[in-house]
Amino acid sequence: MRWIALAGLGAALLVPWMPAGGYQQYVVQVATFVLINAAVALAWDIQARTGQLSLAPAAFFGLGAYAYTMAALRGVPLWLAFALGPVASAAVSLVLGVITLRLQGLYFAIATLAFAEVVKVIFKELPVDLTGGAVGLTAPPLLGGHQTGLYYLGLAVLLVTIGASLAVRQTRLHYAFTAIRQGELTARVLGVRVVQVKLFAFVLSAFLIGLVGAYATSRLFFVIPDDTFGIGISVSALATAIFGGVYTTAGPVLGALILRTLEEGLHIVLRQGYLVVYGVILMVVILYLPGGLVGLLTRRRGRDAAAGD
Amino acid sequence: MDLFLQTLVNGLIQSGTYALASSGLALAVGVLHIVNFAHGEFLMVGAFTAYWLSLLVGVDPLVSLVPAGALLFVASGGIYRFSVRHVLLAPELNALLLTFGIAITLQNLAVLAFGATPRVVHTAYQITTLSLGPISVGVAPLITLVVSVAVLSGMYAVLYRTGVGKSIRAVAQNRTGAYLVGLDVDRIYLLTFGLASALAAVAGAMVLVRIGASPHMGFAFVLKAFAIIVMAGLGNLTGVLWASLILATGEAFVRTYVPGGGGWAEAVFFLLIFGTLVWRSWRQA
Repeated sequence: MRWIALAGLGAALLVPWMPAGGYQQYVVQVATFVLINAAVALAWDIQARTGQLSLAPAAFFGLGAYAYTMAALRGVPLWLAFALGPVASAAVSLVLGVITLRLQGLYFAIATLAFAEVVKVIFKELPVDLTGGAVGLTAPPLLGGHQTGLYYLGLAVLLVTIGASLAVRQTRLHYAFTAIRQGELTARVLGVRVVQVKLFAFVLSAFLIGLVGAYATSRLFFVIPDDTFGIGISVSALATAIFGGVYTTAGPVLGALILRTLEEGLHIVLRQGYLVVYGVILMVVILYLPGGLVGLLTRRRGRDAAAGD
Repeated sequence: MDLFLQTLVNGLIQSGTYALASSGLALAVGVLHIVNFAHGEFLMVGAFTAYWLSLLVGVDPLVSLVPAGALLFVASGGIYRFSVRHVLLAPELNALLLTFGIAITLQNLAVLAFGATPRVVHTAYQITTLSLGPISVGVAPLITLVVSVAVLSGMYAVLYRTGVGKSIRAVAQNRTGAYLVGLDVDRIYLLTFGLASALAAVAGAMVLVRIGASPHMGFAFVLKAFAIIVMAGLGNLTGVLWASLILATGEAFVRTYVPGGGGWAEAVFFLLIFGTLVWRSWRQA
């Protein structure tokens, strides 16, 4: 597994140098979107390991994006504004996490969905000179908009997220997360500090998503409530993670690679409605392939050691 | 005072459609114990069915609620049989994700098939209004209210006065018990799912007349329906009527009295869902 990861990293590093003729820019752009999708899906997955199905990624992504944009437009140095993104998301997620502590499963999902929609409406309805209203704001690009530099920055962001995902997996946190997911009451009885762990997972996840959100504005150039807070972000995060293999690190990355490329391909043919692929994949995976792609691959190899649960 | 009364009446009329849209969902949640995210999309399909029927065959949209309902009854039966049935025993998150997937699929299929622009129908009664003193009521909204009341009464009659209804209620109360007394639980699930979806389709036909149909309409409705059933308490069918009334009038008042209220009115529902869920979770301590 190690060498596959290294090979993947090598390939990722070389993307801007790959010969693609006139399509060079486009390839880098698609690759960047893969990085963004993978990072958000990974961050969602970290939090999903505690058994909480959050539909709030859109809110945290948007908060990161807006925090960066609003700060940068007010003269804050870009690197500081960039750091502000994840911090803002993390702060809000802490509050949200505390409030929703007692919600389980389904109700937690609906509550986070409702929260994400409320945030969207707030940013849409606040005075235009504050948040740009329904039309949004134009975001100053990081690194002066240098495409290759931005790609590597995105790769760095993804690596940070992968690092977090792996760190959670390798430490005792993994046991805490899994215990909570499998039975919160039992975990509590066993001495797991459920409240702290759940909050930690939630805040870490939001921090990372906010980081990606701030980064993504450099790719998208503007923030606009309907898209930046759009439910599509949450949907693709969870569909990607589930498709690739939930509770794993390789899963969301693999899922993002395949799904985003597929989406880009479809996008050329169908200008709208390509999200249908996500819907179908979600259905198929839930019904026939609960372990996702990674589950499929590890089954073929005959159950290697990394089986989650 | 006039504005107040007018807003109240507007809310009252709108509550009919909301009640219709949420009753179906309440039925699905109460009986099958799954959250059907695709409910809003069934509503959308119902709206489009009514639209195409009125366009191609010339049937009045309100009349075509019958074939729309029938179509959704059959189609959702198929959906139940081939997908939903398999996740009923799994953790409820699976059902949520599955219906979510169904919803996304249906929504985007509609975008592919019909394009994203909203469609409207033009009927004779859409622009006429009645005046009851200082208050004016559109004929179309009034008719939708009447139809909603009629359909809902029919649903209640079925649930509380027929044998089938009794079986449905039994399964909702205790699935194992229902098995033990010999009820065919799977068939009842199929029936209920179909019924719930048919109700959504009828609501969709009504929304078509009042606003129009667009592939993205389902999402807003399913969230509103959730707000309503969460407020009423899951599985509480009569509570749905009260909750619809409260939420519809609340929305109407926010629209009228809050400056720039149109956008904030959306947030009302979501805040209510969020607030109710959170409040209930802490209260159960």
